[in-house]
Amino acid sequence: MFLNAVIIVLQEILEASLLISVLLVFTQLFHKIWGKSFSLKTSWVAYSIILGIIGAGLYSHYTPQVSEWFDYVGQEVVNASIHIGSLILLLILAFVVPSKKITGKLMTRSRLTTFCMTGVVLLAIIREGSEIMQYVGGIAGQSGNFTPIVFGGIIGAGIGLSIGVLLYYGLMSLSIKWAYRLGLILLMLIAGNMGSQAVLLLTQADWLPFTPIAWNTSALLAEDSILGHLLYALIGYEATPSILQLVCYLSGMIMIAISPLFRKVQPHNQSLAGTN
Amino acid sequence: MRLKFILRRFHEMKNSASMLLLSITLTSLFAYPASAAVAEIELVIKDHLFFPATLEIPAGQKVRIRIINQDSTPEEFESYELNREKIIVGNGQAVIFIGPLEPGRYPFFGEFFPKTAQGVVIVK
Repeated sequence: MFLNAVIIVLQEILEASLLISVLLVFTQLFHKIWGKSFSLKTSWVAYSIILGIIGAGLYSHYTPQVSEWFDYVGQEVVNASIHIGSLILLLILAFVVPSKKITGKLMTRSRLTTFCMTGVVLLAIIREGSEIMQYVGGIAGQSGNFTPIVFGGIIGAGIGLSIGVLLYYGLMSLSIKWAYRLGLILLMLIAGNMGSQAVLLLTQADWLPFTPIAWNTSALLAEDSILGHLLYALIGYEATPSILQLVCYLSGMIMIAISPLFRKVQPHNQSLAGTN
Repeated sequence: MRLKFILRRFHEMKNSASMLLLSITLTSLFAYPASAAVAEIELVIKDHLFFPATLEIPAGQKVRIRIINQDSTPEEFESYELNREKIIVGNGQAVIFIGPLEPGRYPFFGEFFPKTAQGVVIVK
């Protein structure tokens, strides 16, 4: 029970914590690249976490009702909507950041970027947090379960947050150029994963048609291995993705790749190397 | 008089023919989802166990699994092989669609009580 609690809470916390790290790295990078003209207050993280926890509490409280919607596939529909909402916010973010050519309305742009970051993290916490709350709330009440689940949960959350902190400082220790590049790659993978997860959930609910699996790498890297879990949390690794999932994953990546967020890496490369 | 009768018969025939066509079209339209009706399997969770622990389904067909949780605790149906994951609230039920699948064994488990809640989908 204890070890299981560690794993379950770790899985859920990890996704949110890695997302927060990547977005926080971008917050810092924007500040370094643009100075005061396009600077985001890091307090968005605090707001998104507080609101996210409240939202997760509400969602987990209403899950019994939600799961009855649409002939018992309500959870899939709501969770897929959360993924699609997150993806849209990420794309807005990627398209409103100033680039070398577009620098107007910096105030509006920074507000919108802050809003998107808050929204993405808020939604991630609602989704992952509600699962933790259902697990802990539903099972810790049983006699003898309380101590192992609560302590296991605390340890799982601790490990998950530590990995997030490690990623943050790992990226921040790099040069701006490389932090930006790696952050961007992670953001592309995160965006792709959101699209892919939405597809998976809607297929599970029979709202989207079945498509055959694109490949099977379960022999190469099992999803239930430690690396498999880590990659699942970070980039949505799946051993047997469907073709439609793959298409949506690639579409999410491409959308980020054509955004100003992506293009901006190049023109600023040289000047940034000096400032670091 | 006779010609008029023949013409009328002809009209009636045409009408009935078009009605027939229309009804065939409509029937096939409405019959499509009916013919594609998905088989349903019931899976019960009780005392952190799955009943039945082995589900047999035909290959190449979509199946609706209705999971009924008779425990007061929530459970999470999870399967890496089936690519499925879903929380079933305590004393609640949930629906998961799987397939069409290739023949083989697809294990699943309850993530909240993995020691006891184990099962397998066998596709034949």
